[in-house]
Amino acid sequence: MAKFLFYRVLQALFVLVAVTLIVSFAIRLTGDPAIMLAQGAGSITEADLERIREALGLNQPFLVQYLEFLKGLVTGDMGRSFMGGTSVSELIGRALPATLALAFASLLISIVVSIPLGIKAAVSRGKWPDQMIRILSLVGLSFPNFWLAIMLVLLFSITFNLLPPSGMEGWQSFIMPAATMGIILTATNVRLVRTTMLETLRSQYIMVARAKGLSNSAVLYKHALRNCSIPLITYFGLQFGGLLGGIVVVERVFNWPGLGTLAFDAVAARDYPVLQGVITVLSLMIISINLLVDVAYGFVDPRVRKS
Amino acid sequence: MKKTTTLFKVCTLTAAMLATSASYAGSLTIASPQDPGSWDPIDTFLVNWASVATNIFDGLTYRGPDLELVPGLATSWEELDDGKRIRFSLREDVVFHNGEPFNADAVKFTFDRLLGEEGSRGPQRSNYTAISHVEVIDDYTVDFFLYNSDPVLLTKLAGYGAMIVPPGYIEEHGDDYFNTHPVGTGPFKMVDYTPRSDVKLEAFADHWGGAPKLDSVTYRFISEPSTAVAELQSGRVDIVLPPTIPIGMIDSINNHPNSQVVSVPSPTVEALRFNTQSGITADERVRQAMIMAIDRQAIVDSILGGEGQVIASFQGTQSFGFDSELEPYPYDPQRAQALLKEAGVEPGASVQIDVRGNDATFGEVAQVVAAYLQGVGINASIQPYETNVLLNDIIPAGRTGEMFQQKWGGWTFDFDNTAYLMYHSGERWNPYDSDATLDEMLNSQRSITNREERETLLQFVARYTKERALEMPLYSLNALYGVSNRVQNFEPAPDNRVRLTDVDVSE
Repeated sequence: MAKFLFYRVLQALFVLVAVTLIVSFAIRLTGDPAIMLAQGAGSITEADLERIREALGLNQPFLVQYLEFLKGLVTGDMGRSFMGGTSVSELIGRALPATLALAFASLLISIVVSIPLGIKAAVSRGKWPDQMIRILSLVGLSFPNFWLAIMLVLLFSITFNLLPPSGMEGWQSFIMPAATMGIILTATNVRLVRTTMLETLRSQYIMVARAKGLSNSAVLYKHALRNCSIPLITYFGLQFGGLLGGIVVVERVFNWPGLGTLAFDAVAARDYPVLQGVITVLSLMIISINLLVDVAYGFVDPRVRKS
Repeated sequence: MKKTTTLFKVCTLTAAMLATSASYAGSLTIASPQDPGSWDPIDTFLVNWASVATNIFDGLTYRGPDLELVPGLATSWEELDDGKRIRFSLREDVVFHNGEPFNADAVKFTFDRLLGEEGSRGPQRSNYTAISHVEVIDDYTVDFFLYNSDPVLLTKLAGYGAMIVPPGYIEEHGDDYFNTHPVGTGPFKMVDYTPRSDVKLEAFADHWGGAPKLDSVTYRFISEPSTAVAELQSGRVDIVLPPTIPIGMIDSINNHPNSQVVSVPSPTVEALRFNTQSGITADERVRQAMIMAIDRQAIVDSILGGEGQVIASFQGTQSFGFDSELEPYPYDPQRAQALLKEAGVEPGASVQIDVRGNDATFGEVAQVVAAYLQGVGINASIQPYETNVLLNDIIPAGRTGEMFQQKWGGWTFDFDNTAYLMYHSGERWNPYDSDATLDEMLNSQRSITNREERETLLQFVARYTKERALEMPLYSLNALYGVSNRVQNFEPAPDNRVRLTDVDVSE
């Protein structure tokens, strides 16, 4: 087991290094931050630019810069933003909770909506509620999230003036962004719940439960749902990682002070340290989730451990 | 007894509520598209720094929305030693927000810092390299010694890197602290700053120009235009600063009962510049023909919704060096075709237009240009690039197509800032052309301190570049502000630097 764990952690570290290396290298191909900073500076000379690059640490070879970055990571220092020198850890420390909170809220909305709908669809398979729910989920899947976001803002902020159109200022601020993400997740999740439920309902222990004379709801919620929950939880957990990636667009539309907005602005400003920091934190989270899942499987299933 | 306490509590609570609603009456929220990250004047060149910082800091000179240069922290100045020395008399009884007095030492400290090691790490220093050093004559008199006279220096002292900073405060707290907790002598002081989110200012009652009418101002950083406009229309933002509002949203803002668009000519101009070295555009006649093939007024009217002016040279009407007598090339496709024939260009010749891919409005402009060129027998293809790739790699390396988009404009409104960088040999933005006559004119205007003489020369430069058709000048753009109806006394600033001293709000 120790050996398995050791190899899995080693693998995860390798992925992390590879991801940060690629990102650090790629962003350096896209333009010179010194020129970005000096845009509008009339008479800037090559010597001036060189001085700015030196101050930003960009005059060193790429590998040296990258090793500096790795060294910083180990000591918990992710450097300073090129835009004003704020520490990257501080920026991420402020943005990460906002993103996590939004991701959780979206997932929560989606779970609360998709489980009853999915069960309803499964129970009334082929009848009109099932058809309705399936059509609705297809419609939900087809919405581009930025369009949905703008429509929600038009309706609830401008026409009815009920919700704040952007920012994070209280629970009201969560409603529209979480709903935007939630609706699209729900569309997939309803179908997933329905299929899993249908499979479970066909199994023998459900037949036994029914034969025992248990009420319909007891069969559904006590026996069937519980057995469905294992694949569902795995799926929702993995979805969380994907959610973090998809949140960038929604964050931008709602001016959400999260990692997505931070990364987006960093790309626009060629703010290497901030972008590297955000990517590192995001990949670290996704790698850790995967690692935990793998290790959990390893604990449960001896076959995984041995291979 | 208990009852009285409760009653007392209710009374204080009501009083407190009244107080908050009263202070709310004087507060304003502004949407700005970008957080500059640092508020130190020497660290940044972003126009969105200036739109906030113009309320926090003062310079020796001041230039408001009318673009007239007037005294700021200096009450008067005189040029000595043939423009190699400028003596400033300073305003007395001015204090910084932290109570520190403003005097000659603060001026010296500011420029020593800008021109010294701290300044060399930032982009601002390069603009002030004409200054050799600053000498304190007495508490309220300073001399600026110059290496060479700089005709734009007094304008440059009204903004950006030349903002006067407090020596005692910076020495005590350090540069890093100053980045996020700036202190100046301006009409507002910064009370709270949350990076990438917002910044809050409060009126500085002791400002030498009189206390502002507003109590407080909040700037929120919102980069997405539709989000900023939604905030404006839902009444949570009072002013949306440029450059945020796209042309396409003007109607929706004006049609809303609470808001309107206020516009003013900005320093930003756009042109399609030519590769004068290779391709059919190496021929001057072809370049002239291509300009005459385009109805630029139609582009301004239809695509820009009238929010722009056709230009004859690469500058707008407010630019120093603008010549109202210089006419743009007329729209004359027949003459264009004749010129093309004379130059031996066969119908069906092709050109490539390089544009910034994220600029939707210009994308439309480029397509219309291509359609007009088609009309005189030239096939134009449009090549979009990521903005930074175009600016950092394609243009400076001379790897553009026959034409490429250049968007330009400097807050100094001086044609030198455009002409020198666009036309002088060897400059970064001039990868193709080398013209000894131009070089000489551009060099000599930099040392002329007589305003009229210099203006005539700059106007001549403009005329010369027009005749050589070094670019297809398109238009100058207006700066578009989205403004809520509750805002009073708002005057749009051409350079984005909206000073809020006189602005007020009504309920």
